[in-house]
Amino acid sequence: MKNVVISGYCRSPFTPANKGLLARVRPDDIAAQVIKGLIAKTGIDPHDIEDLLLGCAFPEGEQGMNVARLIGQLAELPVTVAGATVNRFCGSSMQAIHIAAGAIQLDAGEAFICAGVESMTRIPMGGFNYMPNPVLYQNYPEAYISMGDTAENLANQYHLSREEQEAFALLSQQKTYTAQLQNLFADEIIPITTPQGPVDQDGCLRPDSNAASLAQLAPAFQAAGTVTAGTSSPLTDGAAAVLVCSEEYADRHDLPKLARIKAIAVSGCAPEIMGIGPVAATRKALQRARLDLDDIDIVELNEAFAAQTLAVLKAMPIPMHKLNIDGGALALGHPLGATGARITGKAASLLSREGKRYALATQCIGGGQGIATILEAIK
Amino acid sequence: MNIQQVAVIGAGVMGASIAAHIANAGCKVMLLDIVPENAGDRSVIAKTAIEKLLKADPAPFMHKDNARLITPGNIEDDLAKLSEVDWVIEAVIEHPGIKKSLYQKLDSICRPDCIISSNTSTLPLRLLVKDLPESFRQRFLISHFFNPPRYMRLLELVSSKDTRPDLLTAVSRFADQSLGKNCVTCHDTPGFIGNRIGIYWTLCGLHEAIELGLTVEQADAAISLPFGIPKTGIFGLLDLVGLDLIPHILTSMTQALPQSDAFHQLGSLPPLVQKMIADGYTGRKGKGGFYRLNKQHGGKVKESIDLRTGEYAPSVRPDLSALVEAQKQGFQTLLSHADPAAVFAWRVMSKTLSYAASLAPEISDDITAIDAAMRDGYNWKFGPFELLDQIGAGWFVDKLQAESLPVPALLASKQPLYKAEAGKLHCSGFDGTYRPITRAAGVELLSDVKLRGAPVLQNRSASLWDAGDGVACLEFHSKMNTLDMEIMELIRQSIDKVQGGFKALVIHNEGENFSAGANLGLLMHTIAHQDWAGVAQLITTGQQTYQALKYAPFPVVAAPSGLALGGGCEILLHCDAIQAHAELYMGLVEVGVGLIPGWGGCKEYLRRWLTLPKRPGGPIPPVVKAFQTISLATVSKSAVEAKELLYLGRNDGITMNKLRLLSDAKAKALALAENYAAPQPAVYPLPGKTARVMLNMGVKAYHVLGKATDYDLEVLGQLARVLSGGDTDITQPLTEEQVLALECEAFVELVKQPGTLARLDHMLKTGKPLRN
Repeated sequence: MKNVVISGYCRSPFTPANKGLLARVRPDDIAAQVIKGLIAKTGIDPHDIEDLLLGCAFPEGEQGMNVARLIGQLAELPVTVAGATVNRFCGSSMQAIHIAAGAIQLDAGEAFICAGVESMTRIPMGGFNYMPNPVLYQNYPEAYISMGDTAENLANQYHLSREEQEAFALLSQQKTYTAQLQNLFADEIIPITTPQGPVDQDGCLRPDSNAASLAQLAPAFQAAGTVTAGTSSPLTDGAAAVLVCSEEYADRHDLPKLARIKAIAVSGCAPEIMGIGPVAATRKALQRARLDLDDIDIVELNEAFAAQTLAVLKAMPIPMHKLNIDGGALALGHPLGATGARITGKAASLLSREGKRYALATQCIGGGQGIATILEAIK
Repeated sequence: MNIQQVAVIGAGVMGASIAAHIANAGCKVMLLDIVPENAGDRSVIAKTAIEKLLKADPAPFMHKDNARLITPGNIEDDLAKLSEVDWVIEAVIEHPGIKKSLYQKLDSICRPDCIISSNTSTLPLRLLVKDLPESFRQRFLISHFFNPPRYMRLLELVSSKDTRPDLLTAVSRFADQSLGKNCVTCHDTPGFIGNRIGIYWTLCGLHEAIELGLTVEQADAAISLPFGIPKTGIFGLLDLVGLDLIPHILTSMTQALPQSDAFHQLGSLPPLVQKMIADGYTGRKGKGGFYRLNKQHGGKVKESIDLRTGEYAPSVRPDLSALVEAQKQGFQTLLSHADPAAVFAWRVMSKTLSYAASLAPEISDDITAIDAAMRDGYNWKFGPFELLDQIGAGWFVDKLQAESLPVPALLASKQPLYKAEAGKLHCSGFDGTYRPITRAAGVELLSDVKLRGAPVLQNRSASLWDAGDGVACLEFHSKMNTLDMEIMELIRQSIDKVQGGFKALVIHNEGENFSAGANLGLLMHTIAHQDWAGVAQLITTGQQTYQALKYAPFPVVAAPSGLALGGGCEILLHCDAIQAHAELYMGLVEVGVGLIPGWGGCKEYLRRWLTLPKRPGGPIPPVVKAFQTISLATVSKSAVEAKELLYLGRNDGITMNKLRLLSDAKAKALALAENYAAPQPAVYPLPGKTARVMLNMGVKAYHVLGKATDYDLEVLGQLARVLSGGDTDITQPLTEEQVLALECEAFVELVKQPGTLARLDHMLKTGKPLRN
């Protein structure tokens, strides 16, 4: 079997939907700039790229019409580079990486751009024309459960107090802010040109958050609930991209090699507790990699909600020093289609930066799923 | 000369609110104030004022975007920019020296034909122009707005013999047509007209209530409703204005008025009021006034002060049954009654009406100006002379004489002040001869139409009038103009009549509100008998009547003002066009009483979203938009907002001045009558069940969040069913009749529910929606 490597990773700044600096930029324009940036950064000859696989959770409107192909054209990729839009909701761009890895191992291409984008300003969650199936809704309403309700369900099921959730959210804010102050995002961010000038800083962070201010927020989803805006990832605009190629190709062209893909997995779970999805997916991936959870040195676990992340940690204990060491989505934001590429690319670059051996990137997915990728350092 | 740019100097409450209302007219306006000491931002006062305007309640802006028309500035850096404006309104502190020094600067900067006016309420014009050059005197006048300027329709204008007539005309025309003001010409006398009489009335009421030992509630009730005066009465009004202002007003009036003026007989400020001011009880802006809300112990208890002891106690609703009984016999019985509250009413009103009558020649050109000032500046339903006619001038004079009170010369003849002659309203001149009242071009009143002849059709709830020029006017006159089966009957008769002899129909009335909605009492009666077929009949009758109106072979234009709720909103949605008064509060509010719009409101409102050219694509957005507006019982806070909500269409017009509404509506109707063809029925491609499920999901999410009640789930479930098209599929568009059938089904389902009954009952008893 061919080895598959992550050769490069970058992303746009992540900015809050509606009020952030990317709100007035089309998502296809954000993604195209990130992809151009990835090509420049890695130095790959774009003619060698087989396909642009782009994740997007609500591929309609400005994200519609097989937007992957259109973004390839906006990014001025050679006409020979194909394009496909991938949708597994929040797992979309991690799924794009999985598809590329499978294709490389089948000799169906040597280099792929695996990207993701979401403008939660310009395309609302649920899309412009949300049309649930009435029969499914009647027989199995959980299929359409709102994300906030799933977080409340996990908080109840795992007895997660509001205080615990807020303490976790605060920690995420602090880690993310520290990383920003230490300039640890600088080499992954591609500045985005906007009519109002270039944007090169993440905008969702709330460094002024504190326990008292978080405690004052009203419940966001259920009057008697514990989940607030402060313990939920914010609606975010942004894009991310990784370059996935065979290790042979990287060696032949002297491209960087951040990490090898060791194992991948997806798994379904009950939709009403979709946030627990990473547990089953991770267990599958660990088994396929013949590793134990303890063998993992670095974990990028997407923080959709504090309650959701804490529930996963209860079922699958991960020491805090290994978890989201540059912060997470509660502070950084969660542009649905882009997050999978961000956390996989981030995990790969952390392996190099921290000099560790194994990394795990995993996330939960609306509708009741989990997705996981295990990476191995290249000595 | 046309006024296109205005500047207001002085960004206090009045200045800023005047600027906001000028912005409401779509006109650019500069708002300037002084530069405060050590200010970082030199225009901070004006900028802060604009921010406050955006938060003020009632809203000074008809649409918050209007704030963009105001440019903030300061009088040190921006005065030179005034060379561009057509009208400068000075609203600075009431200090002649400060005002005059500003005028001198303005006179050198402003264009020669730029009007300069003062919003002073106390200073005479002759003092303000003294020693100023002719170039200034020619362009100067007093334009006195009432607070709040958006809502109070009076504008008092005072000019001098030097004021250029063309400039006075320009201000009058702009104020009338663009600001919607009723301009009243006043003589240069203290307090002009409104405050001269209004302050006298208020202080008289204050003294008499104390002397007669009434409670503030008794006094306010006795002086308000019987006379068509706002229920704030005397004490509620003083709380609103601010008690701390009374000493200033007293001093200024006492100094300005000659000793012979009856004002001096009112006496000095009662010790109780002096103590209240000293203790900070200055009214609503302070700790409270004659009334206060006691928020101690976590509650909100309405309290009032005892005028004898100065102690607060929980407010007691006064028993005025004697007055109410007396009033049924007419004003004369009421004003002769021995009940202390009736004695109070007589004393205050007899003195005030006599005062107005004795002053009339000194302060105004004619009595219509005084009546207009009290109606539009103090929100009295009738002016003093209109009230005198209702009381009976002869009886009034006899009673004055019987009590050895002076009789004003104007009333000595005991003649009525107004009379209709040859189909035209006349008013009494100061010489006792009657002269016809003329209306400005473009002003037509239904009350004038009614003097011209009998109605074409009439029943207890509505009438059809010949409004002239081939236009018929349908008027509602039921209680609060609620819609009942008699109105439906008259609409159907009118459709036949108009076809026979008119070019077009205008639906209009001169009530404070166009219509409060359907008559719920009628519905309650039917529900009480569990007569579901009867309920269905009420619905289908309304639907068929409104459909007949929509497809009548002549144009139908509505001219609403004030509230147009529920069924009153639905009839508007069926018209070919609407010419709305700027103050239009329109909405489909049925969910508040546990119902859905059943007289075609869902059908027509949905159509507006489905056919909106720039609407978001796909089958869901129109349904969601209609659902949002109706489920929240959204009421527009102005006609501009009604346009944004699509209650009004793109081609519907807005008239700022209510007096011009009928004329504008007639013009619109006659324009439509040229080659008129009735509209084509709409088709409704609706998504069916999927949209219903989607909408219900949204409501459930609000329910778990505590923002929707248990019974909202039921009501909004029915609304979702109608707006999504029932069980249809997107490939099978519905007809209007099918949507109407869905409305009827949903309505009948809801009236069977105890939750709806509870909501209806609560609304009828309290006037407020029940959140069950």
